[in-house]
Amino acid sequence: MVDEKNLRDKAKEVLERDDVRRLIGWARGTYGYESAPVVLKDASEVDKLIFDPTCVQNPASFITLEEKKPVPRGQEPDTRKVAVLVKGCDSRAIVQQLVEKAYDREGVIVLGVPCTGVVDRRKAAKMFGDTSEPVEISEEGDKYVLTVNGEKKEAPKAELVADKCLRCRYPNPLVYDMLVADEVEKWADDEFADVDEFAGQTPEEKWKFWEEQFSKCIRCYSCRNVCPMCYCVECVVTKQKPQWTRRATDISENTAYHIQRAWHLAGRCIECMECQRVCPVDIPIMTLNRKLTRDVKEMFEYEPGVDVEAEPLLACYNPQDPEEYIM
Amino acid sequence: MGDFKFAKDKMAEVIGALKDYQVLAPKAVGDVLRFQPVEDPAQVSLDYPNTNVPPKELMFPETETLFKYRVGQTDIEPEVPDASARRLIFGIRPCDALAYTIVDKLYAWDFPDPYYQKRREATVLFGFACSEPAANCFCPSMGGGPASEKGLDALMFDVGDTIYVKTLTDKGEEAAKAMGLEAAGEAQMKAADAQEKEALAKIKRTLDHSGIPEKLPSLYDHTMWERFSDRCLSCGICTFLCPTCHCFDIQDEMEGFDGRRARMWDTCMFSEYTLHTSGHNPRPTRKERTRNRISHKYSYFPEKFDVIACVGCGRCINYCPVNIDLLDILEDVKKAEVKEAKTA
Repeated sequence: MVDEKNLRDKAKEVLERDDVRRLIGWARGTYGYESAPVVLKDASEVDKLIFDPTCVQNPASFITLEEKKPVPRGQEPDTRKVAVLVKGCDSRAIVQQLVEKAYDREGVIVLGVPCTGVVDRRKAAKMFGDTSEPVEISEEGDKYVLTVNGEKKEAPKAELVADKCLRCRYPNPLVYDMLVADEVEKWADDEFADVDEFAGQTPEEKWKFWEEQFSKCIRCYSCRNVCPMCYCVECVVTKQKPQWTRRATDISENTAYHIQRAWHLAGRCIECMECQRVCPVDIPIMTLNRKLTRDVKEMFEYEPGVDVEAEPLLACYNPQDPEEYIM
Repeated sequence: MGDFKFAKDKMAEVIGALKDYQVLAPKAVGDVLRFQPVEDPAQVSLDYPNTNVPPKELMFPETETLFKYRVGQTDIEPEVPDASARRLIFGIRPCDALAYTIVDKLYAWDFPDPYYQKRREATVLFGFACSEPAANCFCPSMGGGPASEKGLDALMFDVGDTIYVKTLTDKGEEAAKAMGLEAAGEAQMKAADAQEKEALAKIKRTLDHSGIPEKLPSLYDHTMWERFSDRCLSCGICTFLCPTCHCFDIQDEMEGFDGRRARMWDTCMFSEYTLHTSGHNPRPTRKERTRNRISHKYSYFPEKFDVIACVGCGRCINYCPVNIDLLDILEDVKKAEVKEAKTA
């Protein structure tokens, strides 16, 4: 259990430092079953911070979303650090960003939050309905206790917890400068049962599935923008000259977009599942990434976002690498 | 106009009787609803809060061909929709119909847009009153309501085993006759009135927008925007799913010597929206983009067209993945002290 007072004290300590300019964490949302990510710039604001099973978002996404504006002549660039609160899954994004040299390790202060699972708002809304008030959720044993419109409700944890948590192998942050609570025990494992299940279909069945899913896509690019690994300044799908992907929304261009998005994450996706969470038309985007994750693991014995010292998969070569697809 | 009704279990027959219309109704893929042409009237269900993607796409599609061309040839015929091919949107919610009346002003201003206008002319709107408003609906604050008649040709109410149909225009009356509806009685009208009152009481969220359009320009450089923009993903959800957002980009697509000029939804939340050829971007960060979205809806649009470009459907709040809540922003706008503003 995370003691919010301790979390806020630690955050306050960090924000009071002269060499820190912002802290990214979670605050209570305005309605429903999810918290709101929040960027604090002053120690006086730390009481906004929370940590509970509504804190599903990955704060590491917001490190690279911040624009680097040109520094006016005569001024020094702001080199103060960014502090960020991360769960175990979120911390893998920081590891991978560091592996790819997206920023310097010294530029970030990582406050690790050991986590025992977060709630999937879609599952919660199906069970208890929508609500205009923010819902508070606490974990009691194998149950979640929710306060929905002032009424206490209970649900088994297994029915409300996000899919990523059901196969979580890293409940504790893999990189941190300080922890805000005691480490927790690992309670799940990942056998790629979902990948096996999907792979059991015929190519025709799979294409029928993806055709229906990709046809829904409105190309809002929320899946790309929320992805902590999608931090290119100029993205291949929005580049105009030359234009590699057309902006038109049709099955051909939508498919091209989704395949490109998935491929660019091969050996890089850290499985925070933010892409799938944010999709306004419920495209099961992670189904593509999960297949790539397993292929990368089986073919190259590589897992992204777990070792700060690792080389990026596509930037390293091993004579033992399989090459069946070449020969 | 007239009062009609039909039995709910006769819905397929009623829709099937519309031989002279292309009927569009909400269709589900999983949990996601969108208006689609009805292929099988038996599949139409009126059991939904609202569609994920608003029916603005029926007037202003995500992607539409304006004309096709061939290099070296000068005869270009615009592919303007046929206004005589009648369409009927079955089950549009009152907020989305109200949104058409707002977007109409834009597409009739400056350059009257034949693509949008022909589709509007050809379409009959059979609205469906809300009995179970969703968590973030605030339509009564924006001049609409769960049974608002604005912009509609007919309004349907689900009153138990029966659908009560109130026709509001000649177009609606004509379609009701084509459906072969019978006359409604006092009982249905009373039930509809009661339902409207109940639905109104269920709407929890409200907005008093008085003063906002006038105040917004003074907050141009205010730091309040950063409270929201710092967590903005710069994605297109809030604008693409907004029934009144209407921006588009125009692009040419070529294959060999054949090409088409097409327009597609665009959004001020994308960084490339305002990117100049020179590389300069007048809205370089999410702060300027967040400010523009709110200011356009609540200040620039009403200044030009006398109406706020928001109908209170709640989609931008429901689907924002980082809880940027329009009503939360507007509360901050009301509270913000103008003197805090920095000068640029």
